[in-house]
Amino acid sequence: MKKQWLAIALGIMTATGGFLDAGTVATSGEAGAKFGLGLIWAVLLATIAVILLVEMVGRFTAVSQKTYADAIREDFGFRFYLLPLTAEIIAESLLLAAELGGMAIALSLLTGISYHVFFPLAALFVWMMAWRGSFDLIENGPAMLGLLTLSFVAGIIALGGIPLTLLPTLWKPNFQQGTVADYFYLVAGILGATISPYLLHFYSSGAREENWSGKSLLLNRVTAIVGMSFGSLGSMALVVLGAIVLQPLNITSNTLGELGLAMAKPFGIVGSFLFALVLFTTCLGAALEITLALSYNVSQGFGWEWGEGKKPVEAARFNLALTIFLLVGVAIGLIGVDPLQLALFASTVIALFLPISLAPFLIIMNDSQYLGDKTNKRFTNIAIICILLIAFVVAIVSLPLVIITGGG
Amino acid sequence: MRDREDEIFSVRDILDSQLMSHDEIEIGRVADIEVELHDDGSLTLTHVITGPQALAGRVSWRLKAVFCWILRDRFEQRIPLSEIEQFGPTLYLHGNARDYAVGQSERWIAAHILRWIPGSGHIGK
Amino acid sequence: MKKGEAIGIGLLWVLLVTAGCQIVPPGFSQTAGNIGSAFAAAETTLRYAHEGKITYAYAASSFASYQSELSGNDQTLVSAQGAPSSASMHSLLALYQEAMQVVNAPCLSAACNWQRQVASLDRASQAFLKAGNA
Repeated sequence: MKKQWLAIALGIMTATGGFLDAGTVATSGEAGAKFGLGLIWAVLLATIAVILLVEMVGRFTAVSQKTYADAIREDFGFRFYLLPLTAEIIAESLLLAAELGGMAIALSLLTGISYHVFFPLAALFVWMMAWRGSFDLIENGPAMLGLLTLSFVAGIIALGGIPLTLLPTLWKPNFQQGTVADYFYLVAGILGATISPYLLHFYSSGAREENWSGKSLLLNRVTAIVGMSFGSLGSMALVVLGAIVLQPLNITSNTLGELGLAMAKPFGIVGSFLFALVLFTTCLGAALEITLALSYNVSQGFGWEWGEGKKPVEAARFNLALTIFLLVGVAIGLIGVDPLQLALFASTVIALFLPISLAPFLIIMNDSQYLGDKTNKRFTNIAIICILLIAFVVAIVSLPLVIITGGG
Repeated sequence: MRDREDEIFSVRDILDSQLMSHDEIEIGRVADIEVELHDDGSLTLTHVITGPQALAGRVSWRLKAVFCWILRDRFEQRIPLSEIEQFGPTLYLHGNARDYAVGQSERWIAAHILRWIPGSGHIGK
Repeated sequence: MKKGEAIGIGLLWVLLVTAGCQIVPPGFSQTAGNIGSAFAAAETTLRYAHEGKITYAYAASSFASYQSELSGNDQTLVSAQGAPSSASMHSLLALYQEAMQVVNAPCLSAACNWQRQVASLDRASQAFLKAGNA
């Protein structure tokens, strides 16, 4: 009984690490600073979507013993498989560079040393964990520190909670600091930052690494719901902090460090320290998940040996792939784009590509050949289709708006 | 008529399936198939084909021509149907991983690139 | 399958192009607003550092980010669409220069006139925010 609880607890903490990353930190902070509580609905929508998707992919892998990438290649053929693969390699390489940047900025905030110094070191650290770390270490290391996100909630309480005057912004966002174009750009960013395909590949492969079977369905469901809700709480807490502290000061959180100021107000130096630590941990978790997800995707799609439980020489192409992806991430980062802006951009690109990445998944989830009687209920299908359409339409709409109004 | 349906069904099933060797190593996926045309018009599956050229051929025949020109069949392999012990989403092969040329890039990468990186688990000879 | 693939590839191209179009120079209002917010953030950071709410290390790192965020923005401002008359532009640029001196060399030790720097940043921030909302 105790072992079951431990398994659930660890699974939950993993989901937390996957939810919050440079993208969600960036979008949440800016959302709160610019529009008060006006984008909370987007966070909630994204949370529902990701809970549904994560539960689905976990259920799929547990029952069929195949991973997501296996299923795409086998069900749709090689040529079609290349489409989501290409979309994900492009979008997630950008996001990986942003995560490494996020880690570097966190270290910079803690030490005062320029973040450019830490960038390659962050990449090296991620590589070492992926190269030799066991799956348990990768899951639990960053995830345990992820519990620190609860400090954001403590911060809100210490600041006196959410002022009543702010509540109307939930349905009527105030547009003094940002434009309409900005608003939709952030909706797309929030949806893309949260509903990321890499999470599905990682979770699916993780279910295999942990040897989940048909018996693990309840564990899967609990992990998905509780874990993602916990992460969502952290994201919403950042929105509220941005709204309470930054908006009155006219700060729009265009750099990651500014958001830390919102924690420094109630808790002083400890607050800023906590923020930097959470930033480091969530970006580390995300960097690992993205790198591994891309490598899992390619290895499974091409039928190579894969897995963190094996020594590198036992899964040579898998480990070579993850090394190359990290190098690509470093190369992109060296171009010198600010990590927060890169995170926002990458998240919007992900939102645009969501239909390509997730449409095959919806089809697979209704295939009884893999799932027996555990296929999707109609409600689930409709919910996911709606959310995908929203993400896509918003992303398509926000880009021309940004160009027309000259925003950025 | 029933034979034809069976064949079409099995092509879809076999294409892109995972190939696993007897010693439980995943060596690749089926990129293409080879069939034999009989006098009575029926087709029999004879070989499964793996390799980058065959994969390129799935995308476009022009790409395949380019790959053929560069790689000159060095990485292609035709595995006879008799080697397949068990059919399903994963095809289980008779021999061990070393018996098949496919997956040789895996061994090459392990021996020539990864060995220089500490912690790779490579055992020097 | 072929038709579906064609649609998929076409979609991919459209998305890549529209995503690439994001790299478009912003207009005057937006730039002024961003500059104003950045100076506001710098002001708060400097104040917090001297009030003991953040470490000097944190402030130093933050200022490095503000420097890269702000540098070159005066050029963007001048060439932006919707820029105001040369008189108001002139005063804005003067405030910009003054505030940038602080951003490039913030006083992060106990012995300096940091209050004057904060005031400088505040003036610039207010002016730019006002210009951005005009």
